[in-house]
Amino acid sequence: MKPDVDRMLEVSAIALMTQLGPSLPTSYAQSTAGSLGALLLAVREEFERAAARRVEENEAIRTLFAQAVDVVEDDALATRLREAGNAEPAGLEISTLERENAELRGLLIELHAHVESLDAEPARALDEAIWSELARSTERRKLSMDFF
Amino acid sequence: MEPIEPRLAAYLAGRLDEAEQVRVEGLERIFGGASRETYRFVLTWNERGVERQRRLILRRDPPGSLIETERATEFAAYRAFHGTSVPVPEALWLEEGDGYLDHPFFVMEELPGYESSPQAITQAPYAQHAERFARRKWSILGEIAKADPKALGLTTVMPAVAPAEAWSRELARWEQVIDEDELAPQPIVRAGIRWLRAHPPPAPERLSVVHADFRTGNFLYDAEGGIHAILDWEMSHLGDPLEDLAWSLNPVWRWARDDRCGGLAPRDEAIRIWEESSGLHADPEALRWWEVFSSVKGRAIWVSSAREFTDGRNQDLILALSGWFLGNAQDRALLDALGRLSP
Repeated sequence: MKPDVDRMLEVSAIALMTQLGPSLPTSYAQSTAGSLGALLLAVREEFERAAARRVEENEAIRTLFAQAVDVVEDDALATRLREAGNAEPAGLEISTLERENAELRGLLIELHAHVESLDAEPARALDEAIWSELARSTERRKLSMDFF
Repeated sequence: MEPIEPRLAAYLAGRLDEAEQVRVEGLERIFGGASRETYRFVLTWNERGVERQRRLILRRDPPGSLIETERATEFAAYRAFHGTSVPVPEALWLEEGDGYLDHPFFVMEELPGYESSPQAITQAPYAQHAERFARRKWSILGEIAKADPKALGLTTVMPAVAPAEAWSRELARWEQVIDEDELAPQPIVRAGIRWLRAHPPPAPERLSVVHADFRTGNFLYDAEGGIHAILDWEMSHLGDPLEDLAWSLNPVWRWARDDRCGGLAPRDEAIRIWEESSGLHADPEALRWWEVFSSVKGRAIWVSSAREFTDGRNQDLILALSGWFLGNAQDRALLDALGRLSP
């Protein structure tokens, strides 16, 4: 698809921020146009990585679940972790990946809370692995305009 | 939809003694502040044959907002602090019915000629006065912390709380917002909430008025390092004064893109100024609890803004921007406060 989507979004954003926005009659409208331009630039950045970061994250969480099966002390939770960890991705559409991500992160919350209640060394190691994945999840979501 | 101007003029005509030919002119919406729609306007009226004018601000509830806030409390806070060492605009009229402008609103004076942008304060001609802004900013916060809520008349409008329960009330409030509004599971903030419950802070030295959104961006400033009004009291309540200090230190307000809190001062310097002004001690462990809390609360606000925008109750772009841009930064700030930011 040409022109590329990222180029179209970039040109649209610049036009909004530098041409259309300043010509609007009120400061509220100008600020809204500027914000819309910033939003388009963020969408451009997200468009490029949208599928890749979700595939990577879902796989990372499934790997954590596979590690956790032998650590947790709750049979029902272990079964759910095994099933979620072994599941194949249903597709590469963003909505599909996002739905899977929500399911996986919901189960990750349960796993994390459970692991925090355990004292054994394997549980401590799993806890550290979960924290590391949570930190990586914020790296994946960072935008170039973010300042923290 | 009927224009605001004639309806607002009719409302104000009923509240001005001996006023005739009351007009609302130059009504203009101000960008930002998604918890209320904010407009500036000029009120003109004739009083005993003399034409008078006053520049005013209208703060109206939107159909949906960043957070459900109590306008009567905000109005009362403005009134209570007006004329004290904590600078605020004069709040004039509060209308809690829907009859006049479709939604409740209040009117206060405009203080024209000042800047409020959190980005502008990091640039010329303001940036060179960062140290003076910082001294003023955290000194005012100290003044809020040491003010007597009862003497200000605010204990009659702000719900009471036992000192030892200040933390749990606020945590429960914001956890409920996340429970109700989250569009997707939030493993980082849920871990943060568990940590907060497992490590409760000590009771505060004293109960104070907590502004609850005290940050760069919520005050009016000039080009010489002066701060002339503290704005946006909509979340104010009684509580632990460290709540305000922690919120002001939150990394998501580092507008200068360096380590300075609020784009103005290093963390230790901000705390030192606050302690000197308030006469209170910022216990490091207690302050850490409130810093973790401030990121949980921030995340709750961004979760709520994303919900409002997605559901279509309020499609002000500021909600989309804050929900997306600040949400991840807030997660990172929370991880940082927990010592977990590095993978």
